[in-house]
Amino acid sequence: MKLQEIIDKLDLKILTNIEDREVEGVFISDMLSDVMTSAKPGDLWLTVQTHTNTVSAVNLIDMAAMVVTQGKVVPQNTIELGNRYHVVILSTPYTTFELATKLVGIGLKAT
Amino acid sequence: MQEEKCIHSWKMVNIAYGFVITEKCYQTGKVATYFTFEHKPPLEEYREGDHFWNVMESAQSFRFDLKCTKCGLITTFNELMGLMMCTGCDKTCELDIIREKLASDRTWVYVAFGFLPINERKQLTQEKISILENYFNQRRKSSKSRIKIVSHEMVKNFATCYAEVIKDIDMLCLTAPEGE
Repeated sequence: MKLQEIIDKLDLKILTNIEDREVEGVFISDMLSDVMTSAKPGDLWLTVQTHTNTVSAVNLIDMAAMVVTQGKVVPQNTIELGNRYHVVILSTPYTTFELATKLVGIGLKAT
Repeated sequence: MQEEKCIHSWKMVNIAYGFVITEKCYQTGKVATYFTFEHKPPLEEYREGDHFWNVMESAQSFRFDLKCTKCGLITTFNELMGLMMCTGCDKTCELDIIREKLASDRTWVYVAFGFLPINERKQLTQEKISILENYFNQRRKSSKSRIKIVSHEMVKNFATCYAEVIKDIDMLCLTAPEGE
């Protein structure tokens, strides 16, 4: 499923420039160590983390986008870094669990 | 007969979680880092020869090896302390010059750095850095971007470097939900 389709269906807020691409799966974690060892390229990453170093992890793993859940405000410097490195950052007021449920509902699965 | 050379296809194996500890001797000012598998990082000051080591920082991290799925060759990365993404903080730094040169091709530059003190610890070889770079690039099937990993030697000054280190430390989530 394309990223833009997921954004539209779940009304995700777009915080950075967006590049549409195929989303291969979903990965949930709030630990960068976990992301580095277990996330896969093309994954949509659900997290509550908003620190700038999340951008370096998303970029290195080549995930499709990160979604900051629970309505957490993403700092401007994280958004700017995301734009510089073509990392798509989205946000949603849903909790991680709620969003995961909705993603399953539209047909996405863990990889 | 010469053996056919394997075009390696890397997979992360032997993953083990632990902590990277940074400690400082306040007598000599020396800073050292090491990896520990202990579940709780040690906090006590201890003496080692002329040094009185105190913990400055501990970050959750992990160790891993890369294994070729075709020939079974395993490359260990015990010398790797971490990776950081160059954000272009110093125009006179060799790292930033490379970053700027490669940015138009959407190749992002990361630094692989080893444990401290650099001159007393075994550091990653260029061969291992290339293997690590291959691993991350081989996985980028659908992406238009690439990764370039370079040695810490490229960094002009670690003390003033603003590269984004990938580590689980500090308060990674800095904000409350909107409206609260």
